[in-house]
Amino acid sequence: MQIANLLNSSELTFPILECFHIAGFIIAIGTTAIVDFRILGYGLLGQTPSQLMKSTRFWTLGGLLVAIFTGLGLYSSDPDTYYLNLSFLFKIACLILAIILNYTIHGKVAKADSTSGGAKVVACISLALWGAVIFGGIFIAFVQGGL
Amino acid sequence: MIMSFATWLENLDFFAFIRGSSNEYPAILALHLFGMALFGGMILLTDLRMLGWILPEQSIASIVNATRWPKRIGFLWVAACGFILAASKAEGYLLNAFFQLKLTLFALVFVHAMVFRGSVYKHPEELDRTPQPPGRAKLAAAISLVLWLGIMCAGRGIGYLNAPPGLHYAAWLRTILKFIQG
Repeated sequence: MQIANLLNSSELTFPILECFHIAGFIIAIGTTAIVDFRILGYGLLGQTPSQLMKSTRFWTLGGLLVAIFTGLGLYSSDPDTYYLNLSFLFKIACLILAIILNYTIHGKVAKADSTSGGAKVVACISLALWGAVIFGGIFIAFVQGGL
Repeated sequence: MIMSFATWLENLDFFAFIRGSSNEYPAILALHLFGMALFGGMILLTDLRMLGWILPEQSIASIVNATRWPKRIGFLWVAACGFILAASKAEGYLLNAFFQLKLTLFALVFVHAMVFRGSVYKHPEELDRTPQPPGRAKLAAAISLVLWLGIMCAGRGIGYLNAPPGLHYAAWLRTILKFIQG
């Protein structure tokens, strides 16, 4: 018996989910980047990193949840092609690291309003990890072969 | 005319190389999206502040002024990547309905900027005089959000019309042009 996935029943569902996925990560990464840029000394200098993080926290989490749930939906349309794909595995590894960093060290650094060298390194790692998640995501469709 | 320009453009060595590349093309696509994520947040923040939904203790003027240059740099970054992607498949893109929609929305972004420049963006400090942002600022912010979301969705749509029948049309047009030019 075939189990029908709703996603495969309409041509439109996948691209629409993708649009929500992109909007979700733009909001999540965009609001995180605002805090990171501030720690690095760019952008909204009128606010402290902790104030920026406090104001954007809700949007970061909201965007992240939208991106994760739409991502699970996209994944469920054809799990086999995803979990064997090296780029997908790289993306998920970076995503997990980025989320852990965001809610542990990154959060502490922003809360402390630190703009020391160490804080700047954390901001750079945060930006690099989120960038790696996007690169991994794009390359899913372009890498040949897998595990 | 425009189609022959597209043909010329996509056949330049650099764009032909990007089109046929297995790593460079997706890398530029990823940079296009990463740029959006980095700087889209600033557009979102400005619009949300103008709607009165975020950072109420911070003045609209300070946010508009502090994000003006980063947004310009971000736009250049994203647009440069987008141009390379589009130019490497120029013929297909020109005939792609989603690309046409995206260009139309960009034209509307330009119109939006012109319409609200004087009343909103040029003198943001005037928007801070009332406790709630004025209606014109909220309208400008709401339209901005809709337009940028539309551009994002249209951009994603482009990839779904990968081999438009128009490509044959382009070949046909080239033949006619060659015929006319003798």
